[in-house]
Amino acid sequence: MNQCLRPLAICLVLSSFGSLTALANPLTEEQLYDIACSACHSLGQTSDHHIGPPLGGLLNRPAGAVEGYHYSEALRSSGWRWSIPTLLAWLAEPDAAIPNNAMNYVNPLTAEESQRLAEWLLQQQ
Amino acid sequence: MTSTLTRRRLLEGSFAGLVAGVSSGCADHSSGRKVVVVGAGLSGLNAALILERWGFEVQVVEARERVGGRLWTLDHLPGSPEGGGNVMGSNYGRIFKMAHDLKVPLRSPPRTLPSDYFVGATRIPRDDWASAAANPLPNGWRNVPPNRLMGKLNASNPLLKTRAWHDPGLMATDQSALSGLRALGFPDAAIQLIGANNSYGNNLEETSLMSLYRVMGEFGRLSGPALAVKEVTQGNMRLPEAMSGQLLRPVEMGAPVNAIQQSSSETKVTLASGKTLDADAVIMTLPLPALRRIDMDLPAARAALLDEVDYHKVVQLHCTVEVPFWENAGWGGSWWTDSLLGRVFTRPIPGTTRYNMTVWINGDDCEDLNALDEATCIDTISRALWELMPDAREVTSVGQLVRWTNDPHAGGVWALWRPGQAATAHAALRAPVGRLFFAGEHTAESYRGMEGAMESGERAALEVMRVLM
Repeated sequence: MNQCLRPLAICLVLSSFGSLTALANPLTEEQLYDIACSACHSLGQTSDHHIGPPLGGLLNRPAGAVEGYHYSEALRSSGWRWSIPTLLAWLAEPDAAIPNNAMNYVNPLTAEESQRLAEWLLQQQ
Repeated sequence: MTSTLTRRRLLEGSFAGLVAGVSSGCADHSSGRKVVVVGAGLSGLNAALILERWGFEVQVVEARERVGGRLWTLDHLPGSPEGGGNVMGSNYGRIFKMAHDLKVPLRSPPRTLPSDYFVGATRIPRDDWASAAANPLPNGWRNVPPNRLMGKLNASNPLLKTRAWHDPGLMATDQSALSGLRALGFPDAAIQLIGANNSYGNNLEETSLMSLYRVMGEFGRLSGPALAVKEVTQGNMRLPEAMSGQLLRPVEMGAPVNAIQQSSSETKVTLASGKTLDADAVIMTLPLPALRRIDMDLPAARAALLDEVDYHKVVQLHCTVEVPFWENAGWGGSWWTDSLLGRVFTRPIPGTTRYNMTVWINGDDCEDLNALDEATCIDTISRALWELMPDAREVTSVGQLVRWTNDPHAGGVWALWRPGQAATAHAALRAPVGRLFFAGEHTAESYRGMEGAMESGERAALEVMRVLM
């Protein structure tokens, strides 16, 4: 193949599969939050109309500590504080992390997505 | 992407501070990607709204002339009773958030009147159940009303985790509800009463015991947060209508899909009208009986699964009662029967002196009724009603027959899992096939019903975005 045409051919082949996962951009943390969390949790700091507690100011916050929200006894008495390790364990499988909690949830994110989301969430004030 | 930004502000509320940054970002790298969503029920609309928010060009196509799928408010009847999904569980966070954001008012449902019992033709007042001669239960069980017998399963519920209901390890021990209930010591009379009005299987032989555990466990969890069960004040269908009203492109109504073809770079959706829609991805949300009619060129094993999963059968006859005929006799106003009538649920129509009364028949008992023409079916159910409750006849008008199995766009009310099937069929049915993605309550994991539909739409949108961003 002509050396000049070869890059063009490669580009054409790639563009025909341009939407395969390997070439897709990873979802941003905002998108991950939007899809996986935002229906039940705001990014505020006080209890609101969402069914789950707000996630603003989460870093080092004791689990089950937002006033006005009705937590499970399991979460309230867990002694957990939110950090990267605890949040990742929680996101991986809430039932395994703290049995009998109230969050009926199966995380649809990959481990890599969960890691980025957890880091991002803990930065939200 | 001004419109995306506008809707995002509207929808996100407290998330608004984030909006400016992410909206410009999403426009940069995802605009121009086309997604067709098949089905304008809750799952399809939720997926479409998420994808539009992030810059995708979304076209929802809907076979019916209305949105909502298996939400169907009977607006032509007094009190607008629900012909489809009627209960918004107290932990339906996605549903409540959507209703809040779209300003769709919710209310606590008017209380369904207390239920008395008929065993055969024998009337048993609810307070007399334990001592009634017609109560077929043995000692130790007699004080459990027939509509609470299934709840006793929770005493042995092994499903401690949300996703355990399709855990292959637990499913290895799954069995039919019939043999499972016997093994647990449920007396035959109790099993018969459970089978008479089982909302979660067409018959106990083909019902998975684990799936019943799942349902019972979910009911337990519904009472977790201190919130109440809700319904949309003006009818549940107002929620999907409000959702569709938010879409940039209107739902294409009356547009059943005939075929979906995929090539290496594009997916083509062919409507029954002959019109074709090209897309980068398709989200298929239809329930399996409706999905079977579409030529999708699925792998053989996957196509076979579509036929193997059963759907629950429900027949409803919606009536309006002018005068509470039950009061003089000291009855509660609702009935549980082990006859053709199944259950009769009655509740007041707010602001009036009238009542909605729904005859609710489940499972294989529906088969004969589904085979009748509409007039004969209504006549058959009405006669049975007048026979058990002669006083109802003069003050009750029949409004609407609903037969979900006969609806070609539904084929039933929800997916049922046969013994052992949840571990295999559930995961397989939601796996993408090329650029064809699947949503709908049958693909949901944490929830069932309306919230399950919403959850599945989120997951399908995520899968599409992973491929197309």
